[in-house]
Amino acid sequence: MVAPPANRPTVVASALRIFDLSLGQMLWSRRSVFLAILVGGPVLLAAAIRLATILEHLFVHAGNNKQIGGVTLFGMMIWLLYVHVIVPVLGVFYGTALIADEVDDKTITYLFTRPIPRRAVLIGKYLSYLTCTILLVLPSVVAVYFLIVPINGGSVGRSFPLLLADLGMLAAGLIAYGAVFALVGARLKRPLVIGLVFAFGWEPGVLLVPGYLKRATVAYYLQALVPHQMPLDTTTIGILTQMFDRFPSITTSLAWLAAMTVSALWWASRAVEDREYVLEQ
Amino acid sequence: MPIHDQGYRRYGGRRIPLGRAWAVIAGAGIRAVLGRRRFILLLILAWIPFVVRAVQIYFSVNLPQAAFLAPTAETFREFLDQQQIFVFFITVSVGAGLIANDRRANALQIYLSKPLSRWEYLFGKLAILMVCLLLVTWVPAIALLIVQALFAGNFSFFRANLYLCPAITLFSFIEVIMIATSMLALSSLSNSSRYVSILYAALVFFTPALFGVLLVVTGSSAMSLMSFPANLRQVGNAIFRLPLPYETPWALSLLMILGLIVGSGLILERRVRGVEVVV
Amino acid sequence: MSEERGIITAHHVSKWYGQVIGLNDVTLAVPAGITGLLGPNGAGKSTFMKLVTGQLKPSQGQITVLGERIWQNPALYFRIGFCPEQDAFYERMTGLEWLTALVRLNGVGDRGAAEMAARALELVDLTAAAGKRIGAYSKGMRQRVKLAQALAHDPELLILDEPLAGMDPIARRKAIRLIRDWGRSGKSVVVSSHILHEIESMTSNILLINQGRILAEGNVHQIRDLIDEHPHTVYIKADETRALAREFLGAADVLSLKFEDQAVVIQTSRPDAFYARLTAYAASGEFGAIHEVTSPDDNLQAVFKYLVK
Repeated sequence: MVAPPANRPTVVASALRIFDLSLGQMLWSRRSVFLAILVGGPVLLAAAIRLATILEHLFVHAGNNKQIGGVTLFGMMIWLLYVHVIVPVLGVFYGTALIADEVDDKTITYLFTRPIPRRAVLIGKYLSYLTCTILLVLPSVVAVYFLIVPINGGSVGRSFPLLLADLGMLAAGLIAYGAVFALVGARLKRPLVIGLVFAFGWEPGVLLVPGYLKRATVAYYLQALVPHQMPLDTTTIGILTQMFDRFPSITTSLAWLAAMTVSALWWASRAVEDREYVLEQ
Repeated sequence: MPIHDQGYRRYGGRRIPLGRAWAVIAGAGIRAVLGRRRFILLLILAWIPFVVRAVQIYFSVNLPQAAFLAPTAETFREFLDQQQIFVFFITVSVGAGLIANDRRANALQIYLSKPLSRWEYLFGKLAILMVCLLLVTWVPAIALLIVQALFAGNFSFFRANLYLCPAITLFSFIEVIMIATSMLALSSLSNSSRYVSILYAALVFFTPALFGVLLVVTGSSAMSLMSFPANLRQVGNAIFRLPLPYETPWALSLLMILGLIVGSGLILERRVRGVEVVV
Repeated sequence: MSEERGIITAHHVSKWYGQVIGLNDVTLAVPAGITGLLGPNGAGKSTFMKLVTGQLKPSQGQITVLGERIWQNPALYFRIGFCPEQDAFYERMTGLEWLTALVRLNGVGDRGAAEMAARALELVDLTAAAGKRIGAYSKGMRQRVKLAQALAHDPELLILDEPLAGMDPIARRKAIRLIRDWGRSGKSVVVSSHILHEIESMTSNILLINQGRILAEGNVHQIRDLIDEHPHTVYIKADETRALAREFLGAADVLSLKFEDQAVVIQTSRPDAFYARLTAYAASGEFGAIHEVTSPDDNLQAVFKYLVK
């Protein structure tokens, strides 16, 4: 018999090996191709808008007929497309499926009968989710940035710190949502529906309600990290964003997001360690 | 004494004519869905707005101080709009696995080796989702109309708004057919109901987000064509004879909806086959 | 069998799924060597396998494997290799990539893992297909690569759930030989199947399971001997079958006999005495040549039929 290694692989080392195994599966699966198309939507839109402005058939207006700068428009797209839709969708889809996909495909047996703690499987797959989504989302954001910001005299160089802040904010969102939905996936039987309810029902609803309830959302802290000013107007977007005036500081938000991530992953790990996975025959 | 054959005997009874197999699929599917506790819970939640509206109508009829709560055509339009959230969750929980689960279990070949056509299979599956969706759209809206007449004790509201009943019916069916065909088409694309659910969620939330960006960029709502919920809203207001929310001609919005239905049909025609030939 | 000496011990183990009982108050000890777990579909074999491999927790009772509790004890998997029943893989990976990745999870370095994976593939005759995607493998190849991942890290104990399903006869024979070699080299193997002759060709040490209960455990011949109330059937092909039959009829232990094509089939309640008499008759030469003597009963199928009835 091959003797067990004198230094048994730690949780981190085991997680990294699972990460190695899972990353290729996640990146090159057909599902990720479809999601890449989703992430490509904003790039196509940005390209269309840029083309239209170049051809001078389109003027970029706010409600009171002032032209919006490219930077503001970029911020709008980050807000409406990435923060409100893409990041939660990716979080729900991948996060709830970290272990569930392996169970559905019946490959979980191979991972759970290896000499690694089960939580290493969860953490490794979480890391591969993070890598996969960051590889999908961040280049898309960068492409949109370079297409949109130059509109109406915006400067790509001067606004570069904003891009970095947005990239950081979106990465924080992917990290936090992924962990929260990993917990949902590990603990609940119908995690996708619950995840969708949380991301598209609970969060938008609770954010409109004054009081402390909004602190039980990821979006509340994520919005504090959004560096952009929204155009002041009387459109629905303007009214809604004006309601979000009072946010915690960036440091507080990051701390809360980190705490949510760590605690969600810890609980999810506990669930995975204790739970029995009965594969359908 | 005659010895009777105890072996297999051919069925000698009456056979249902060909072309009705879809009803068997639909019936079995609906019974399965209604047997799920979670679905029943969702259904109960979906009828809470009906109860609230019914109470509103009751007060408006019986208390002169509450006359401002009296229903109008817009009330019914708003009610159907409010049901959208339940329509979404029912579509996801019932519709995502309709074909995806059959693909996963390799059951398509079994279905299509029986004396039923592909279209019967699809129609049966469609009927399952449509019935579930009508239970939270058309049925409560019509029930609200009936409740109004019952509480008022007369048909004066009904007579004054004769177009409401056909409007509710037409809009509900357009909405349900559009959603059911698009969900069925997505379900045929994968063998994972979870993946189908997220594709549908992306379609529902992403296209309005794209429209939102274009609304700001152009300052005009003419681009509402790219958002399917917006198209539905436009057509709905047109049917209910209410002011249109967007600048897009409602006929174009209807054309987009029809295009989505046709496109879904083409996907289903391509994907639902007993055998896949891999070249 | 002594519970304390078994490589796998179960002490009043039950497992239920809601209202359905998978295993019902099972107490046993699986000895070292090759043990066959035999039972019809739905008997509880897979449930037992999953309990023994730590995928499920007993609802009641205790299971130990190699002297330690298996549930939430991942370190034990260094010493255990499991070949599951289900046909599930990472289809996009090649056989070698997949095996290497799994061996790496045992804490082996990259190069070592690749070598071990290649060796395991060689053992199951998949070297030629090592660079091919698993999605393109035939059913038999998939079964073999599954077997390979179980033994790649050279475990002490192999647990195989229906390992021969889908294999062609040649591959099946090779796999059986591999399992027997594994047992001869001092390793232990627990192999489950519902196909009787497969188990018989691998081992005579069996566990019979049905409806969640252990029916019998031990050597198939010992089990057969224990079933006293069931007559032993002997098939004798000879020149003078009727003369032989006349002689046997006089003995009190002969319960019945019937004639088949140039043979007589006798049921006896005392096989030892019967065989002694038969030897004497054959030696005397009075009844012509005796061409064939076999016992259709002395196999697993007969044993199982008696016990399950």
